[in-house]
Amino acid sequence: MNRAVLKKCLIEVRLLWAACALLLFAFCWMRVFIVSTLETVDFAGIVERLWDKWSKFSPVPLSHLVSYPGRIAIGYDEPIVVFTVSIFAIARGSDVVSGELNRGTLELLLAQPVSRLQVLYTQALVTVAGLALLAAATWSGTWTGIQTTTVKESAPPPKISFAPLGIEIPLPFAGGEKIEAPMRDKVNPRDFLPGAFNLFCLGVAIAGAASLVSSCDRYRWRTIGIVVGLYIVSLIFKIVGLAFESLHWARALSLFTAYEPQRFIAIAVRQPEQAWSLTLTDSAGKFVELGPLGYNLILLGIGFVAYLAAGAVFHKRDLPAPL
Amino acid sequence: MIVETSGLSKTYGSLAALRDCSLTVERGEVFGLLGPNGAGKTTLLRLLVGFLRPTAGWAKIAGLDCERQSVAVRRQVAYLPAEASIFPHLRGRDALDFFAEVRPGGDLQRSLEIARRLELDLSRRVSFMSTGMKQKLALAATMAANTPLAILDEPTANLDPTVRSTVLALVREARAAGNTVMFSSHVLSEVEEVCDRVVILRAGQLVHTQRMDQLRQQHRIVAALSGPLPPIPDGLQDQLAIVRQTQGEAVLETPGELAPLLKWLATLPLADVRIEPIGLRSVYDRYHAEPVGSTHNYHSPLTAAP
Repeated sequence: MNRAVLKKCLIEVRLLWAACALLLFAFCWMRVFIVSTLETVDFAGIVERLWDKWSKFSPVPLSHLVSYPGRIAIGYDEPIVVFTVSIFAIARGSDVVSGELNRGTLELLLAQPVSRLQVLYTQALVTVAGLALLAAATWSGTWTGIQTTTVKESAPPPKISFAPLGIEIPLPFAGGEKIEAPMRDKVNPRDFLPGAFNLFCLGVAIAGAASLVSSCDRYRWRTIGIVVGLYIVSLIFKIVGLAFESLHWARALSLFTAYEPQRFIAIAVRQPEQAWSLTLTDSAGKFVELGPLGYNLILLGIGFVAYLAAGAVFHKRDLPAPL
Repeated sequence: MIVETSGLSKTYGSLAALRDCSLTVERGEVFGLLGPNGAGKTTLLRLLVGFLRPTAGWAKIAGLDCERQSVAVRRQVAYLPAEASIFPHLRGRDALDFFAEVRPGGDLQRSLEIARRLELDLSRRVSFMSTGMKQKLALAATMAANTPLAILDEPTANLDPTVRSTVLALVREARAAGNTVMFSSHVLSEVEEVCDRVVILRAGQLVHTQRMDQLRQQHRIVAALSGPLPPIPDGLQDQLAIVRQTQGEAVLETPGELAPLLKWLATLPLADVRIEPIGLRSVYDRYHAEPVGSTHNYHSPLTAAP
């Protein structure tokens, strides 16, 4: 790796990264705050009314969705979070070859004694490190929200206890009292790490794909257009696969099938021992489906293979003179 | 020799950007490349620095294969692309810092000195620099590299006459330091001023090689004719060629010393005699005055063979 090239990549990425990190941190903090302002009972009332029609789109059962961890976990599927990470990945990935070619800066850069692969993989390293830090910023926002917010809940009605008989009788007329409790007593921030890691893996896959297209192209706007097109098609495949049973196969063609932060957070909450497992098994130890790590490895694999292919293409291709 | 190419070709589908180019450049030489747009100059230079893969043939710099050992080649070469662009987010000083750091043995002080000679304001961000300023910055970064070979693709484009002179002085200094410079330009006077040898490209083919010291000795004699010209005497056959003879005018060319010819010239039916250096323009026009595809019927017996 060349120190000067690394420094150049860091300078190029710093503003975009800082803006994305700030947005993700602030949004996830706010997301927890918003969750804290709406009582679980009220939220459950809203969701239950829609559940019949929308349950097929939910990656988690209703009971988890209406819990505090489930409600906070929705933040990891919010468009603002997914799109911010995707924008960072596409912006950096598309810049690596076609961006530099488009600006004409690749000429002087490669006139120096640095290899094409050094240029590509130094940028890839900075992008992947940036994505890891963005995922960390997302989780930090959630952590900060959990540590700084409180929830108000209706206190359980007082009970009259008949100790000799072992009977407790609630007093309904005495209910309605609100009690305040710190969010950290309700939610463990560590349960959100699988969601943040899943977000990072999605970013790596998108950045790899964008770099591959960039390494074949000479116009950045076209690279971005192609990658965004594939992104939208992938998103549509997942939605259609979820919506129609007959088109279930379409999910297998979507990158977003492996992006299930809500589900992985639910697993961390309910089956902590399987939060980082490669596969999920039933009580008899039989394979049920891929686990969070399995899905994340698929995303990382896509990114890794795409980066390798980008290196092979960029290494062999002619560099056209800037227009 | 420091540069050697053999049968070097680059085609894009049916378009031959460079065809069967074989040349050598000696160490310490300033070597010019001439030709109109699309003649293949930039293609040749980009093949040398490994930006393009040859369709056929090979190129070597300092004994290193330009395609397979491109990084090692670029350690030996400082390359200034035509219309060089530098990272827009950097300030001029930071850009020079980058180029000094990225190249082993890079010399920031030298690039700062060159920038000062080119009267470049380094405090400005590259994105706010004019085209000429960016060219100066790229020149400062390129010419500061202490490499045995500098390849400059139209280095004086977008520069004012004063700065052009400074650039030519830098080229001469590089030669004086024992370095080699390959220089492509559309400005014939510049090439004539600094180059030791020039090649002319036409439609992707190397059509002529000219040693400048030979060209500087060559003269053209233009005169009005008042009668038919007698044949050139046997003793002067090697020293004179009749280039054109019409009813009213004769054009003769000589490769060297004029003195032995003067006595014979005095016997000819000539009037209004003008003797002028041939100059690169005349050589260039032999190959490029007519459109590509036409067959030019002029071949001076006095110019060096490719």
